[in-house]
Amino acid sequence: MRRPKSAIALALLVMTSVKPADASLFGKDKVQPAPTWAVDAAKIATPATAKNSEAVILSDEDLLTIDDKGRAVERERLVTRILKPQGRNDWGVCHASYDVDEKINYLRVWTILPDGKQLQAMEADFHEIGFNQDSVLLVTEKARYAVAPGADPGAVVICESEVQLRSYIDEKMWTFQYSIPVVNEALEVDLPPGRHHAESWHHYEAAKGMEMGPNRWRWELAQVPALDLRKTADAPDWMALAGRMSVLWGDAAVKGADNQWRAIGQWVDQLEAHRPDPTPAITAETLKLIEGAPDYYQKLNKITDYIQKNIRYFVIERGIGGHQAHPAGDIFRYRYGDCKDKTTLLISMLEVAGIHAYYVPVDHRRGFVDPALPSAFGDHMITAIEVPADVHDDRLQAIVKASNGKRYLIFDPTDERTPGGSLESSLQGSYGLLVVGAESQIVQLPILQPDASGANRVGAFKLAADGSITGAVDTTRRGAEGGAIRMRLKRNDEKDLRQDLERSLGEDIPGVTLDTYKYAEPDPLDKPVTLHYEVTAHQYGKQVGPLMLVRPRVVASYARPVSRDPRTVPIDLQATGHWHDSFDIAIPDGYVVDDMPTPVSLDTDFASYHSTVSAPESGKGKVLHYERDYIVKQLELPAEKQPDYLHLQGIIGSDEKATVVLKKLQ
Amino acid sequence: MQSRRRFDLLVFSAFVAFVLGCPGTLFGQFQPPTDEELKMTAEPKVPGAAAIYLYREETVDDNLHFHSFYARIKVLTEKGKELATVGVPYAKGQDSVTDVKARTIHADGTIIPLDVKPADLVEHKGSGYQINKLVFTLPSVEVGSILEYRWQLRYPDDKLNSPDWDVQQPYYVRKAHYMFYPFKLLDRVIDNKGNGSSKLLYTTMLPPGAKVVYEQNSGKYTLDVTDLSPIPDEEYMPPINAFMARVKFYYSSFFNKEDYWKHEGGSWSKEMDRFANESKGLKEAVASLISPADSEDVKAHKLYDAVMTVDNTDYTRRKSSAEMKQLGIKQVKDAEDVWKQKSGSSDEIALLYLAMARIAGLKSYATVICNRDRELFNQYFMSMQQLDDVLVIVTVGGKEIVVDPGRRYANFGELDWRHMFASGLRQIDKGTSFFTTSGNSYKEAKTIRVADLTLHKDGSITGLVRISMSGPAALRWRHLALENDEDEVKKQFDESMKALVPDGVTADFDHFIGLTDYHTNLMGVVKISGNLGTVTGKRVFLPGLFFESHAKHPFVAEETRLTPVDMSYPDSVSDEVVYHLPEEFSVESAPADTTVPWTNHAAFVLKSTTGKNQITVGRTLAKNFTLLDPKEYKDLRDFYQKIATADQQPLMLTAAAATNGN
Repeated sequence: MRRPKSAIALALLVMTSVKPADASLFGKDKVQPAPTWAVDAAKIATPATAKNSEAVILSDEDLLTIDDKGRAVERERLVTRILKPQGRNDWGVCHASYDVDEKINYLRVWTILPDGKQLQAMEADFHEIGFNQDSVLLVTEKARYAVAPGADPGAVVICESEVQLRSYIDEKMWTFQYSIPVVNEALEVDLPPGRHHAESWHHYEAAKGMEMGPNRWRWELAQVPALDLRKTADAPDWMALAGRMSVLWGDAAVKGADNQWRAIGQWVDQLEAHRPDPTPAITAETLKLIEGAPDYYQKLNKITDYIQKNIRYFVIERGIGGHQAHPAGDIFRYRYGDCKDKTTLLISMLEVAGIHAYYVPVDHRRGFVDPALPSAFGDHMITAIEVPADVHDDRLQAIVKASNGKRYLIFDPTDERTPGGSLESSLQGSYGLLVVGAESQIVQLPILQPDASGANRVGAFKLAADGSITGAVDTTRRGAEGGAIRMRLKRNDEKDLRQDLERSLGEDIPGVTLDTYKYAEPDPLDKPVTLHYEVTAHQYGKQVGPLMLVRPRVVASYARPVSRDPRTVPIDLQATGHWHDSFDIAIPDGYVVDDMPTPVSLDTDFASYHSTVSAPESGKGKVLHYERDYIVKQLELPAEKQPDYLHLQGIIGSDEKATVVLKKLQ
Repeated sequence: MQSRRRFDLLVFSAFVAFVLGCPGTLFGQFQPPTDEELKMTAEPKVPGAAAIYLYREETVDDNLHFHSFYARIKVLTEKGKELATVGVPYAKGQDSVTDVKARTIHADGTIIPLDVKPADLVEHKGSGYQINKLVFTLPSVEVGSILEYRWQLRYPDDKLNSPDWDVQQPYYVRKAHYMFYPFKLLDRVIDNKGNGSSKLLYTTMLPPGAKVVYEQNSGKYTLDVTDLSPIPDEEYMPPINAFMARVKFYYSSFFNKEDYWKHEGGSWSKEMDRFANESKGLKEAVASLISPADSEDVKAHKLYDAVMTVDNTDYTRRKSSAEMKQLGIKQVKDAEDVWKQKSGSSDEIALLYLAMARIAGLKSYATVICNRDRELFNQYFMSMQQLDDVLVIVTVGGKEIVVDPGRRYANFGELDWRHMFASGLRQIDKGTSFFTTSGNSYKEAKTIRVADLTLHKDGSITGLVRISMSGPAALRWRHLALENDEDEVKKQFDESMKALVPDGVTADFDHFIGLTDYHTNLMGVVKISGNLGTVTGKRVFLPGLFFESHAKHPFVAEETRLTPVDMSYPDSVSDEVVYHLPEEFSVESAPADTTVPWTNHAAFVLKSTTGKNQITVGRTLAKNFTLLDPKEYKDLRDFYQKIATADQQPLMLTAAAATNGN
C-alpha cells in the first residue's frame, strides 16, 4: 500500500492552505432506501442459465422520453446480482457517461445484501473519469461512476441514472445482450404526439412493441442468454454477434430499411454540407499535385497519396464533433484530423480534380453494420470515389456498384499506407452507408481477390556439417499486407523494428542471430514492400548419430492457435490473401537424404494449402527445396465448418513441423 | 556501449542548499532554429531515433509560484509525430496552466503557429479534488519539422512546489537547462503537518559531468545537461527509476538524509507501534491461540496461521467509509479492530501479527519495503512514498525471520517475490534502520511437471499431467483463487496449459489439490488427449520436450544488453515425461542427454531413458539468480541459447507402418 503524497505538499505559515472541496451535484448526505422497483427486482431468483456466470442481470430497463423539440432524456435502471468474486470488477460498478452537450441529472447506486440489508453509495464513493487517454485523441466525453458498496457475491447492485442526451441523434441503439445472462429487459420510448418511430433488430428474434400509452412504446425481453467470446479463438467482433435493436424517431423513422438508410444518409449529407468546400489553398495544392497526371488513376493516386502521407491522424471529438467533420480548409491548414476530416479533405481535393467522392460511414468491427438494422451508429468514416463509366483500371480493385448503376472505389484515407485501389482487410466484406443525397444506400464493401494481398518469401540457406545454418530471405508484401507492414514501419523506430524481427525469427529458429536486415519501402504506396535479411543459427540441424534432422520450413508460420471445443459462432479468417514460400537449403557434403515428409495438398472452398519438399537427383542432390502455397479465399466461415478449419490448421501445423532426415555417408 | 557506461556511472548524492538572493529571469523564449537543426534528418548518436529533444528547459520559481516548461523537438520519422500532442495535467480549482504557445517549424523554415485554443479535459475527479489535462496538438507536423512549445503552471500563493526533474526522457536530449528559484523566506515554510521546513535539500542521480550549480547572486539552482541518451527499454528490466537521471528538491525540516530518515523513520515506527498496540482484547485472543508451553517456533506459527484466516481486503474488497458507516462497522484504528472484524488490508494484517507476536513474547519488529516490481528503494531520495508494504520480523530461537502475513497463503517465512531482495526501513530496538530482505533459493520455488502419456497406434495420445508448485508460482494461483471462483481459476489454468502442450494436444484441467492449504505444495491435475507427432515415410517425430514445444526462451534473440536483467526470483522447473509406446513403434533416437552448467548461476539437465515400449524424458532448469549485471549478459544469452537448442530436439520413432499424426 503506497503512502499518500502528504509529506510533499507545503504551505506558507501565514496563509491558509486548505481549499474547499468542489460541490457535487451527486452528493447525498442522507441514506435513502432502495426504490420499490429495485427491491422487487432483487427478489428474482437466479436462473439456471447463470450457473457459470460471474453475475446475472435481473432487470434492465431503459426509458427514453423525447420532447416535442426532439430532445431526449434517458433513464436506466439496472439490477444485477453478483454471483462470483470476479463479478465485482465489471458488475459492481455503476456508471453513466456524458459529453459536453449532455448532462447527467442523477446517478444513484444501492446494494441489497443477501440478508436484505440495504446500502447506498454516498458522495465520497463517486468519481469522474475522462475518456481522453491517448496521444492521438482529444475527446471530451467522460463518465461518472461509483463502486457499489457491499458488492460481494450474493449482493444485488442497483444502478439508476438519468442523462439528458444530445439533441441531434434521433436514435437509440439498445444493446440488450451482455456477457452475462439477463432475466428481464425492457426498452420504453415515450414519443411526443405525431412522432413516428421505426425499429429493427440484429442477431435476435424481434419482440413486438406494446403501446403503453399515447405514443409510448415498450419492448420486453426475457431470459436473454449470455454472449461470452473471451475464450473463443478467431471469433468475429462481439458487437457483430450481440443482439441489439435500433429505434429511430427522427426523419429516418420511415417505412422500409432502404428508406431508413436513405434518410440517415441524407442526415449525414446535411451534417457535412459545405464541409468539403475547397478553399483557394486547397485548390492550388490540388492543381499542383495533379499537374501532368495522365489519367484518372494517376490523378486519384496523387491526391489519395497526399492525404495519406500528409494529414496526421488526430481525433478531436467534442460533442457533435464526434459526428461532424471540420471544414476542409482547417484540416488542410492544420494538417491533422480524424477519419471524417480526412474523408472531407479528400472529397474536397477530388472535387477540385473533377472527381466526385462521397462519405461512407462504416464500423471497423466487421459485422457491426447490418443492412437490416438502419442506424447512424458506427465508429469510422471512409470514402466512396465515383469511377467514371469509361475508366477500367485493374489497379482499382475495391470497387462497388451501387443501385444507381454507378461504380465507386472504396477507399480509407485514414489507413495511411494501404494503396489507393485496395482496401484494408478489416473493412472488406463489411457494410457501409454510401452517402449520395437522395440516392444514399447501404452497400457491402468489396472482398478482394486473394492475389490482391499477401507475400512471397524466397530463402536460400546453407547447412553445415555441424548443423549450423546461414542464409538470406527476401520477402515481398503487397496490397493490404504491404500496407500493414508500412504502418508498422511508420509506427516503430529502428530499434523496435529490429527487436520485432529478432523476436519473430527467434520463434522459428531458436538461437538465431539476425546478421543484417533492410526494409525497402518504395514511395508509391502501390509498390510492394520488401524485406531482406540474413541470419545465422547454430545447431539448426539436429545431429543424431549418423543422422541429421532438418526442418525445411525454416521461417514463417501460418498456423493459428485453435480450440477443439464445439463452436457456435463463425470463424473469422481475418483476411483473404495469397502467400508463397520457397526455400533452398544446401545440405553439407557427405550427407544424403534418408527420409522425407510426404507432400501436403488441401483444397477447400475457403482455403488451399500445398507444400512439397524435394531433393533433386533422387535424394542424392545437394539442395533441399521446400515450397508451399497458402491461399485464403474467404473472410469468415460458419461454425459448422469448424472440422474443416481444424483439418486445415492441423495440416499446416504438421507441415510446419515436418522434418527431413539426412544421413551421413559412411 | 557509451550509454551503458553512463547508466553505470550515475551517481547518487544529496545536498543541503542554502538559499540567498532573489530571482528574476526570462524563460522559454522561442528560438530561431539553426541551419543544422532545420536540415538534420538523423541524430548520429541515436541512429534510427524517431525524434530528439534539441532543447528542453524547465524553470520553477517558488517566489512567483509557477513552473514553466519549454521544449524544442526535431521530428525524424513518422513515429516522432506522436510528440506533436502535448498534455499538461494540473489540479483544477487550485492550479492553472497559462501562456501556452506552440509552433511548428518546417525544414524549409516556414513557421506555423498554434492558433487553436487548448482543450481542458477532465482526467479524474473525486471527492474534493479534480485533475484536468490541458491538451494541444501542433499544426502541420511533418517529418523534419521542429516542434516548439512552452507553457506555465501557476499555483496558489500559499503553495510551494519544489521541482522533481525527470532529466532523462524516452527520447534523446541534445541539451537541457533547468532552473529553480526556491522560496526566499524559508523560515515561513511549513509542511502540511505543521512542521517548519526551512531547509532546502536536493538529491541528484545524474550522468558524469552534470551537476546542480548554485548561483549565490541570483539564489537560483541550475542544471545543464547535454547529450543524454533515451531511457532504456528492454525486457526483464528492473524498475526504470533505478536508471533514470533525475533531480529532486525538498523543503525540509531536516539537514540531511540521515536526519530525514531518522525522524521520518521514527514517526513511521511510532505509528506501527501505535497500531500494533497490546490491547486487552488481543491479549485474550493470543492466550486462546497459544499455550504457554509452546516453543517460540510453535507460537510464531500458530499466530501466523491465525492471522492468515483474516479476510484480506487486498484480495477481496475494501469497504468504503460510507459502507462501513451504514453497516455500523467501526473504522479500523488498530490491530485489535482488525482481529475483531476479521478483516483488514495487507498492512493491517501484518501489523496484527506484529501485535500478537509481541504479546506472545516474541521479539518482533515492523519493516516497510519498496515493492521490487514497482521501484527500487533509494535512500538518497527522501520520500516515504517509496515504501509500499509492511512485513514483520519475528525472532524465533534467537534468529530473526522475515514473514509476510499480509500476503494471504504465503507460508511462514515465505515472501511474495516483490518483497524479496527489497529494501526499505525496519524497526530496531532504538529507532529504525535501512533494511533489505533476502531472497529465496531456487529450491523454494519449485515447479514439477510429471506427464504420463500413452501414444496409440493411430497417433493419438492420452494421459495425465500433474503439476506441483511451491513458492511464487503456487502463491500466484492461490491469490487468483481469492479474486475469482474456482471455475475461473480452472479456465485460466487451462489457458496456461495451452501454452505448454504441443499443437494438436488438448489439456483439460481436472482439479487442484491444496489450493487453500498453504502448508502444502499446490498441485494441478490435467487430462491430456489429442494427436501428437509428424510423420515421414519411415518415421514418426514427437516433440522431445513435451512442455517446451511452444517455449519462448528469453534473451536468445537480443545480442546486446544495456540494463541489468531482473528475473524476478530464483526457481526451478523439472519435467518428467513418460511416453508409453505401442508395440509397433521403437525409439530410434531420443533427445540427447545434455547438461548446460552456468557456475553459481543456473543449470540445465536433460536426460532420456529408453525402456521396453517406453521412454522417459527428464528436464530440469534451475536458476539461482535474480539480478544480473549487463556484463553477464553474454553468458546468460549463451546459456539460454543452449537450452533453446536442446529443447528443440525431437523424439524419433520408427514405425512398421507410420500412421498419420496431426
